[in-house]
Parts: sequence; structure tokens; C-alpha cells
Amino acid sequence: MARYRPAQGETARVQVWDLPIRLFHWTLVVLLAFSWWSGEQHDMERHRLSGYAILALVVFRVLWGFVGGRTARFAHFVRGPRAALAYVRSMRGARGPSAPGHNPIGGWSVLLMLALVAGMVGAGVFAVDVDGLESGPLADFVSFEQGRAAASVHHFLFNLLLAAIALHVAAIAFYRLWLRYDLVSPMLHGRSDRHRDEGPLGAAWWKAVLALAMAVACATAVARGFRF
Amino acid sequence: MTKIKILCAVSCVALLAAASAPAAGPSADSVVAARKAGFKKIGGAMKAIRDQLASGGTNKPVMVSAAQTMAATAREQAKLFPAGTGPGAGVKTDALPAIWSDRATFDAAMNRLIAESTKLATVAGSGDSAAITAQLKATGATCAACHKQFRADN
Repeated sequence: MARYRPAQGETARVQVWDLPIRLFHWTLVVLLAFSWWSGEQHDMERHRLSGYAILALVVFRVLWGFVGGRTARFAHFVRGPRAALAYVRSMRGARGPSAPGHNPIGGWSVLLMLALVAGMVGAGVFAVDVDGLESGPLADFVSFEQGRAAASVHHFLFNLLLAAIALHVAAIAFYRLWLRYDLVSPMLHGRSDRHRDEGPLGAAWWKAVLALAMAVACATAVARGFRF
Repeated sequence: MTKIKILCAVSCVALLAAASAPAAGPSADSVVAARKAGFKKIGGAMKAIRDQLASGGTNKPVMVSAAQTMAATAREQAKLFPAGTGPGAGVKTDALPAIWSDRATFDAAMNRLIAESTKLATVAGSGDSAAITAQLKATGATCAACHKQFRADN
């Protein structure tokens, strides 16, 4: 398989992911693991806190999808099915330098994961446990039966999310082993030598701070059940 | 006239016979359905009190009646685990076989629920939300402890 090597003098370290995206990604990994563990332990106090933090992350990611760095924006990576198919076909042949950011398949994977995590939070805030004692912050807006149904949806979506994460990790392994393409390090330090340079990502730190503040405000409002 | 009397007597006897027919015991299905409904009732009552506390309200009648529902239902629930209504009986149930193999522990757990929910019914009328919260947690702890040991998928 022909692989792209940067020519001499060409920038070997192209900016691929801005810092907020990387922090978002790894914080989400840690929090999902913690939510899983605390849920299994039935430590609902910590499970709720973890869920609020995940809610803040999801809101932040959506906002960042509009005002973030170039590769973080939905407009940059959400592509139609034709682009996705063309990308899959291109994987068979030799590949030239591609643009930094999500490929057309990865873009859909981002949306799927975001939707699943958002769905889990959405069901979780209304969920009621079997005893009727532990529940999400908005459970008093629904009946016991509806809260139990929300808990079932919460469980079901978690299984889908686990499947999506397994697919995500399998895809990373495929790129690493088959295409000799390291996707993990760029998510750590933000740079890659496998892309053509399209300039700085243009992520403004003050927009990140503002988006985070709005996300935390949203999560806090939900956590308090909209009671102030 | 006598005809009517006889008819009455016959139908009375028939009714009595019908009423005493379940001496053979209700089916496992109906017992399981009854105890599921009972636990849902307890869960719903628990939530009703929790919702009151969460919203900062202390609607005394709502909390007292919910707590009384819990205590009364808990007493009924204790009778709804006859032998032959476990997972082996061909009914869909989360009840674990340990209920019947370790009956003394299960009965003790049931009695704790009855005791704590009865106490809750008293505390609920106090209007002291801190005390109600504490007693609600104590009652919920008996649910959780029993589920851990005797319920699948807890």
C-alpha cells in the first residue's frame, strides 16, 4: 500500500485537532468509564454527578461544532452518503495526503456517538430505579412507570453505545494495523504528519471558555431540576 | 315462593363453593402478577414522597397517605411468596431461588421493610423534612439490601 510521506520541506506536523476537542474526547472516555462503574456499583450519587459532567460535555461539543476549530465544526465533517462511499472506495487504492480532520465515515461515527451519549443523558435524567428512591434530577416530572421506562431506555442505549465504542476501537486498530495509520497520537498531541497542511485550526480560546460556561450552566440547571 | 327460596339457597351454596374453590391456591402466575403490582405500588409511593422532598414541598396528606400505602402494601407483599412461585415455576420473575432456600433471611428482610415503612408513615406526618428524608433513606435501604440478595437484575 502506497503511503503518503511528506516531501522535504513540507510541514511534517500539521495541526489536526484543537485542544478543546482533545480534552473533550479524553474527558468523555474517563467519565463514561466512571459512569459505567458507578452505575454497576449502584453508587447513584456519583453516577448522577458523572452524568451531569457528561451532559456539560455534550452541550459543549455541540456548541464547539459551530464555533470551534476548523476540524471540530459540523460543517467541516458532516458529509453526504456519496462522499462516504467515495471515501471507502479510495481506501483500496493508494492514498495521497488527505485533509486533516474526520473522514466522511468518521464524521457519521461522531454524530452517532454524540446522539447515543445525548440519548443516554436524556433518558437518565428521567430514570427512576426499581425502589423509586434513586432517580434522575427530572424524574419528578414523570410517573413511576414512565421513570422505569426511561431507565430501560437508558440501559438499552448503553448497550448500543458499547457496540459503537467497540466499532470505534476496532476502526482505530484497523487503521493502525492495516493502513499503518496512527489515529491515537494525534488525538493526544493534536498533530499528524499524514495530512496536507491547511493552516491553523483557528480555535479561539475565549470561544471555548464561553461555550464551556454555557454548557456548565445547562448541566447545572438540569441537575437542579430547573429549580432555582 | 318456595321455588325462589330454593333458588336462592342453591345459588348461595354455589357462590360459597365458588368462593372457597381457590382453596387449592391461586396460580403461580396470578401470585407473581400480584406481587409485581404490589412492589410497583410501593415504588410509586416511595417516589411520591421523594418528589415532595425534592420540590421542597411538604404536602403532609400526600406524604402520609403514600407512606401508609407503603406500609400496608409491604404487609401484603410478605404473603405473596408461597413455595412454587420462584423462577422454576415457569413464570417470568426476578425473584431468586434464595428466597425459598434462605427463607428466614428473606422474611427478616421483609419485616425490616414493614418496620421501616411503618415508621415512615409516622414520621411523614411530622412535617420535619430532614427526619422524613432520613427515614425515607432508611426505608429505601431495606429495598436495596433485599434486592441485592434476592432479586435478579437489581
